Formats: sequence, structure tokens, C-alpha cells
Amino acid sequence: MITFWILAIVSVIGAIGVITLKEPVHAALSLVGTLLTVATLYVTLEAHFLAAIQVIVYAGAIMVLFLFVIMLLNVGSDEQATTLPWMKPAAYTVGVVAAVALVSAVVQNINPLPSSDVIAATLQGGEAEQIGEILFSDFVFAFQLVAVLLLTGIVAAVSLVQRKAETVEAAEVAIKERLDAEEAQKREAAVNNAGQQIEAGA
Amino acid sequence: MVGTEYYVALSAIIFCIGAVGVLTRRSAIMIFLCVELMLNAANLALVAYARQWSDAGAAIALAGQGSVFIILAIAASEVAVGLGILVAIFRYRNSSNVDGLAQVRL
Repeated sequence: MITFWILAIVSVIGAIGVITLKEPVHAALSLVGTLLTVATLYVTLEAHFLAAIQVIVYAGAIMVLFLFVIMLLNVGSDEQATTLPWMKPAAYTVGVVAAVALVSAVVQNINPLPSSDVIAATLQGGEAEQIGEILFSDFVFAFQLVAVLLLTGIVAAVSLVQRKAETVEAAEVAIKERLDAEEAQKREAAVNNAGQQIEAGA
Repeated sequence: MVGTEYYVALSAIIFCIGAVGVLTRRSAIMIFLCVELMLNAANLALVAYARQWSDAGAAIALAGQGSVFIILAIAASEVAVGLGILVAIFRYRNSSNVDGLAQVRL
């Protein structure tokens, strides 16, 4: 019980950090904390394989992608005021009301857990073997669809981010011209300087 | 053993925090982070119910954990595509504020 409370408090603090911290990098690291506590909660729920996948895929791959994009785009912390000034208080009110309603609905329907022997015998720790069996029998269609979806995601990500060859070329030409102009200016300044020095010496 | 209701209540609270974040943050990347939070809350509830239903047989109980695996893959591809769109918009507008994206609507 004490494990659950510690993990619950840490994950809720992390979640609140995600929505309140101003810097995107801080918010992303706060989300990493929540993801890791959720992975630990999976271990307490006898889902060991999912806990490992959560750490590897979520806290590893997805968050690294997020941090890459945040640092690449240099997303600032300037959170401009929303165009709807009533949005923030309304959102917090709706969020609190929804949370209270959901929690009270959950607490009203308490079913006893099966005995721990039954749980251990059925889930068998939620190892890769059990998940793999269900994925390749009942979930095989969903599994294939997800494979197609991942391929589409790769293609979409590449085609969205790539630039046309001409634009890249034009950008390179513009940079080269600017550098040339700067160099010419510098050279001119040096020549002028030298001329002035010679005049002064004469 | 901690009852299922505690886990589901925690997942409801995290889900509502994520929903509030989606409504209040203005930067598209922060909205993405909050959506990830909501997806995780849903996954937590599914894993909790997988344990609750373990007396109904392995096929039903493990279906909860199997769907969490599928949702994880969907979340990964969603992030890849979403961040791609975000990079394209950022290159074009130099800002990730969603309030300024009015010209994208139909």
C-alpha cells in the first residue's frame, strides 16, 4: 500500500509539473518522471514486460524525440496569453469537476480482487511470452494494422520534414552570397585602415 | 494487494490533469506532452483492469495488456507524425503557438 501511495503522489506531482512548468524542457523532464513511476506501477500490477517497454519506448525513444524537437526548434518559454481569457479558469474548473466525478464513480463500484494465486496463475507476471501469445492470436489483425501504421508514420515524418531540393540550393546560395559580401566588406575596411595608417605616417 | 479502484482513480486524476493541460497550454509541443499524459493514464487503467479480470481466464485478462502494447505503438507513430507537422509549421511560421494557426482551418 505504501508503495502505491508514494508512486501515486510522485506521478501526480510529475503530471502537475507538465501542465504548470513554463520551460518546455522542464515540462518534458517532469513527464519522464511520471512515465517512470507509471512503469513502476505496471510492475506492481504484474505487467513486467509492459513496464520494460514503457521505460524503453516511452521514457527512452518518445521523450528523446520530444527533447530533440524542443532543442532543435528552440521553443521558447514565452507562453502568450490565450485569445480566450476565460479559458484557463474554465479549464481548471472542468478538470477538477471531471476528476472528482470520475473518482467518485470509481469508488462507488468496488469489486473484490481475485485471490493472488489466481492472478499469478493467469497473468504469470505479464512476461513477453504471455503478451506475445495474445498478440499473435487474438490481436493479430490489430498487430498487422499497427505495423502498417508505423510504416506510414515513418514515411509521413520524412515527407513532412524534407525540403525541396531547389529551396535548399537557394538557401545555400543566399548564405554564400552573404558570406562573400561580408568578406568583401572586411577586406575593404582593412584596405581603408592601411591607407589611413600610411597617410598618418606620411 | 492494492485494489483496482485506487489505480483507476489515479489514472482518472492523471487523465484530467492532462486534459486541463491540453486546454490551457498554447504551445503545440506542450499540448503533445499533455496528450502523452492522457494516453498513459488510459494505459494504466487498462493494466489495472487486466489484473481485476484475471479470474475470467488468460485470454480476457491478457487482452488488457495486449491493447496497452498496441496503444504504445500508436502513440509512437502519432508522436513521429505530430512532431513532423510541428517542425513543418515552425519552419513556416517561426512559432508553435496554436492560437495563431487560424488559417489552417477549413
